[in-house]
Amino acid sequence: MARAGAGGAAAARASEWGVTRAVVADDRWLDELGVPEALSGAGLEVVRWPTGRDWRELLGLEGPAWTCGVTVPAWAVAERGTLALEAGATHGRSIDVACSHHLAVLPAGRIVGTLAEGLALSFRAGHPPASAVSLVTGPSRTSDIEKISTLGAHGALAEHVLIVEDARSS
Amino acid sequence: MSGDVVYRDTEGTLRERARDALEDEQLTGSLRAASESWAAGRRKMGELHPIPDLRRRAREIRTENIRELPALLDRLEERVTGAGGTVYRAASAADACRYVIDLARARGASLVAKSKSMATEEIKLNEALEEAGLRVVETDLGEWILQLAGQHPSHIVAPAVHLNKMQVAELFARETGEEVPTEREELVAFARRRLREVFAAAEIGVSGVNLGVAETGTLCVVENEGNGRLVTALPRVHVALMGMERVVADWDQAALLLELLPMAAIGQDASTYVNLVTGPRAHDEVDGPEELHLIILDGGRGALRGTSFEEALHCIRCGACLYSCPMWRSVGGQAYGSPYSGPIGAVITPLLEGMRGERSAELPFFSSLCGACHEACPVGIPLHDLLVRARAAVNPPEKRQARWLFRAWSQAWRRPALYRASVAASRVGMRLLGRRGWISRRLPGPVGAWTDQRDIPARWPPR
Repeated sequence: MARAGAGGAAAARASEWGVTRAVVADDRWLDELGVPEALSGAGLEVVRWPTGRDWRELLGLEGPAWTCGVTVPAWAVAERGTLALEAGATHGRSIDVACSHHLAVLPAGRIVGTLAEGLALSFRAGHPPASAVSLVTGPSRTSDIEKISTLGAHGALAEHVLIVEDARSS
Repeated sequence: MSGDVVYRDTEGTLRERARDALEDEQLTGSLRAASESWAAGRRKMGELHPIPDLRRRAREIRTENIRELPALLDRLEERVTGAGGTVYRAASAADACRYVIDLARARGASLVAKSKSMATEEIKLNEALEEAGLRVVETDLGEWILQLAGQHPSHIVAPAVHLNKMQVAELFARETGEEVPTEREELVAFARRRLREVFAAAEIGVSGVNLGVAETGTLCVVENEGNGRLVTALPRVHVALMGMERVVADWDQAALLLELLPMAAIGQDASTYVNLVTGPRAHDEVDGPEELHLIILDGGRGALRGTSFEEALHCIRCGACLYSCPMWRSVGGQAYGSPYSGPIGAVITPLLEGMRGERSAELPFFSSLCGACHEACPVGIPLHDLLVRARAAVNPPEKRQARWLFRAWSQAWRRPALYRASVAASRVGMRLLGRRGWISRRLPGPVGAWTDQRDIPARWPPR
């Protein structure tokens, strides 16, 4: 989608999910798109990473249970819909699984063709990798009861990816 | 009653456990449904991906990995240490357990959260930690269910595949004293809420390792539920237990195996979560463990290199050979009485136990040698050949007797006179044993198993 629509789309999705708090990666790209403002505007409490809250609260055991983690993937694989989240000071490795819902805002230019191409970006020679690179493909699920796939095991109950035009894609 | 949870892990002989399993309609129904759903997924995958090509390449990669194992492990250790982690090489299960216990005591920990790991089942880490006074909670849904039931996994990837939702609800209710609904979604939500308490409080997170990438010292933890991430992200200390054979050289190799693993395991083209961990958290991060400990477990693996069983080390623990096996599909994993079941379990359990003990004597014979496991294996391990070799290697006393009989038979039938004499003798013998032209009772001695379930005509043509 065009950059101008990103904030509105994020807010619409958050309202549809019924989440009341957003835990948002501290990524400048999100501010440029106006995502945090739009979420605030829709009535959500917006918390930036690092949050200064304890785990019980981030896991929804205290305070609001319905929360939305907002991330910016480092790359994504077109072939399989896999997102790669690189951990760092502004982008906690637990954002997308601690929250009940996951909203990824992906710059279109970061989409690669295959998993191997993406991994080569995160793990290139002479460049120390992030301490955690999390590959995420869809919402959390389990087939442990009667082998039938059920969503929302421990991680996000639902995942939504906004693919936004960026300099490289346009 | 269908809600009863039966503990049948290690009672009796393999044959007795298998017979019990066959009589359990609920169990055989669950197994049939699980195997069929796996097979449907695999068929779908076969249409989308050229699996034979991937398989050939995967086999080359694993052959190379095991050939270069010592050098790869050295590099992995160097890179993990370089990234700020600590590496411990455990020669035995006992060494690995002791390391975790000592670490937990040194850090004053009381609660350990675990994500699914077959290696920890192999070394009986839970029992060891509990004996040392620690509380251990499995966080993979299937493993948690089994922990509540006091059972061991029946499948590498789908550990609680033998239980139905009524049984799960009963276990949850027994654990919490609360009324628990029996709908699948509600059971999953119930477990989610309870286990979040564990993620928030655990001081130590224990995970397995699907692959260790030597090039960068990165540990890959593959899962679908998200508990693997929470266990490796929230507790202050992360302990990763890796079988020594799970190392690969570089990211090209890792990429291919990471793609192949979910295809083979569940017939899907991606696992939901692949957690790639390189060292503990950086100084400016607020989540992730402050300490990362990698335990590299030998536990009998190293001794297999250079032997005719070396290919057993190629295994990436996808569980495809279990679902494809007519024996496993009929009785499930628990009858095997070992953490690893199915064809790969029947091969590696005796090997890791040094071909000693009761399980070693029984397991290699628990196979029809049909070769379906070999066909299903994503890294092309010739499991049926390994099973035959394992049979020869364990050489149990009762089979020794059979071997002499076969040898004598073979000698006798090479001589036409003896051949004719034996046929004439057996004709007379069978008539004497027959009743109204049929042998329908169980005969004593070596032919007992042949006559137990079938009737044989005492004369030809039968009447």
